[in-house]
Amino acid sequence: MVDTAQKLKVTQRSVSSPNIRGRLSKFLLWLFVILAILWVLFPFVWAVITSFKTQIQALEPTFIPWVQFTPTLENWSQELGLGAPETFSALRNSAIIAIGSTLFACTLGTLTGYGLARFKFRIGNRNLISWVLSQRFMPPIATLIPFFLVLQFLDLLDTHLGMIIINTTFVLPFAILIMRDFFADFPDEIEEAALVDGASPLQVFLRVALPVARPALTAAAIICFAFAWNEYLFASVMATRTAKPYTFLVASTSTVRGVHFGYLATRMLIAITLPVIFSLFVQRYIVRGLTLGAVKG
Amino acid sequence: MYKKNRAGIFFLLPGVIWILVFTLFPLLYSLALSFTDRQLAKPNSGQFIGLQNYGRALGGILYATVPEGSPFYGAVAPLITNPDLRVGDTVITSLYMSLGSVTVTIVLGVLIAWLFNHDIPLIRIFRSVMTMPLFAAPIALGFMGLILFNEESGIINYVIRGVTGQYVPWFTQVWWARTAVLLVDAWQWTPFVFIVVLAAMQSIPVELMEAARLDSNNAWTLFRKITLPLIAPALGTIAMLRLVETFKILDIPLSMLGGGPGSATQTYSYYAYQVGLKNFDMGYGSALAYILVVICIIISTIYFRRMGNRYEQGE
Repeated sequence: MVDTAQKLKVTQRSVSSPNIRGRLSKFLLWLFVILAILWVLFPFVWAVITSFKTQIQALEPTFIPWVQFTPTLENWSQELGLGAPETFSALRNSAIIAIGSTLFACTLGTLTGYGLARFKFRIGNRNLISWVLSQRFMPPIATLIPFFLVLQFLDLLDTHLGMIIINTTFVLPFAILIMRDFFADFPDEIEEAALVDGASPLQVFLRVALPVARPALTAAAIICFAFAWNEYLFASVMATRTAKPYTFLVASTSTVRGVHFGYLATRMLIAITLPVIFSLFVQRYIVRGLTLGAVKG
Repeated sequence: MYKKNRAGIFFLLPGVIWILVFTLFPLLYSLALSFTDRQLAKPNSGQFIGLQNYGRALGGILYATVPEGSPFYGAVAPLITNPDLRVGDTVITSLYMSLGSVTVTIVLGVLIAWLFNHDIPLIRIFRSVMTMPLFAAPIALGFMGLILFNEESGIINYVIRGVTGQYVPWFTQVWWARTAVLLVDAWQWTPFVFIVVLAAMQSIPVELMEAARLDSNNAWTLFRKITLPLIAPALGTIAMLRLVETFKILDIPLSMLGGGPGSATQTYSYYAYQVGLKNFDMGYGSALAYILVVICIIISTIYFRRMGNRYEQGE
């Protein structure tokens, strides 16, 4: 592979005279790129194949439908037909919790992010930012027990509101960070001019700053949504019946029906589809968002 | 911009108050609990018992990590009065998974970033595809691992058996089970290393590469002498971040093997979770969690030192 690159450089230099070594290196480069893609996609593809198999078929390493095995809709109809009430109730809970906490986190995050980017605070902006970001380092397990006791005290166990509060707390640092970075990089001349014209800081924020922040806000919302949607730990303790999200339903699969691979694959796919598709739209923000701003993307 | 305008505080406060209320308060509550014998089912529990919970946890960790008879054992022996014999194994499991996963993700991530840094058609689409595992729910990926690594019928063992004639006891042998969990985690997070390293590679000035190419045309030399030193800071940052994150890993081992075989894949966080919220021994569970908090605070302090004055700019 090392040679590949070397040869590739040679090819690039002498494009006019195509040679076999150059073509070979190009071929090898493509080969490894495709291998990497396959490595990432294979588990997803395998899950899709498995979801169309019966339990007996799932134990065989076959993968070509109609040729090697007869695909069945049994698992999907079980999950979306017979099990539909449970499935859709859990998906609805997941959606309510994820959307609720995204709204909370993005509202608070945009305000705080804007404040951190545009104003100077005596306590030191850098200290404030580090403190906000360090929340991401906290092991969730440390707040699990107190949250449980507090929600029990407030009678919010197994409610959407309780789960929204919890998830907002976890995703808020992402929202603050992404919005702060956006505003810090965005020129503030227009805002300054509006301020000179007599607008209040709140008007400037709402009329001038917020409209231009839409792309960053979208990215923040998608990242918050994905993390809240995927949350399992707190749900497994505090939302086990009426507010049960889909991740909890997925986790209880094997205990209910024994290890049934086809069915497991079906549920797994339902759980991951939405955030995985969303993630394709936030490429630019992943690097900064997930390294807490330490690496510029 | 407006620098010291009073209005700033109104933008800042809502978020800050939220974090104070919902993070600082639970953390303090949890600290208080860790000094008690609070158990949910016991009516008279919640008495202050000093450092006993910490003694149990740290004693267990020392007992498992410092071999009896080694020169250090004499020094730590007085600390081991009432050790929790289960916690030591979970620390070893967590350490193995963290270090293993971070190593695998960094090696593969750098390799893939280097491959994808070439100018070939469709590369933008390929890059997007590469990041797909990042946002999949870990609890679901554990089940994916269960299907793929299954000893009897999994496709991975099918391929291994085809090549070597033997199968790997992914779910029954302690270290293989830990490795299987580690590999699922690594599969999910390699794209993260990939995308960060790719960003770092793309910020290397083209002129620098061109100039270096005049001296050497060997790709390995170029990588080692130019690329690697320039992406090293980014690598250090993600290595630390991933170490902390993987040490907290819980969802994947839980859904993949339920912590088994025995308790081989029960990580430290998983154990704290089980103690605190399945056995409802909340005092001890809080102490276990708090030890993790202290470790995370130490690492995050180093992390933010490393970030330097990035946040002093643009204010």
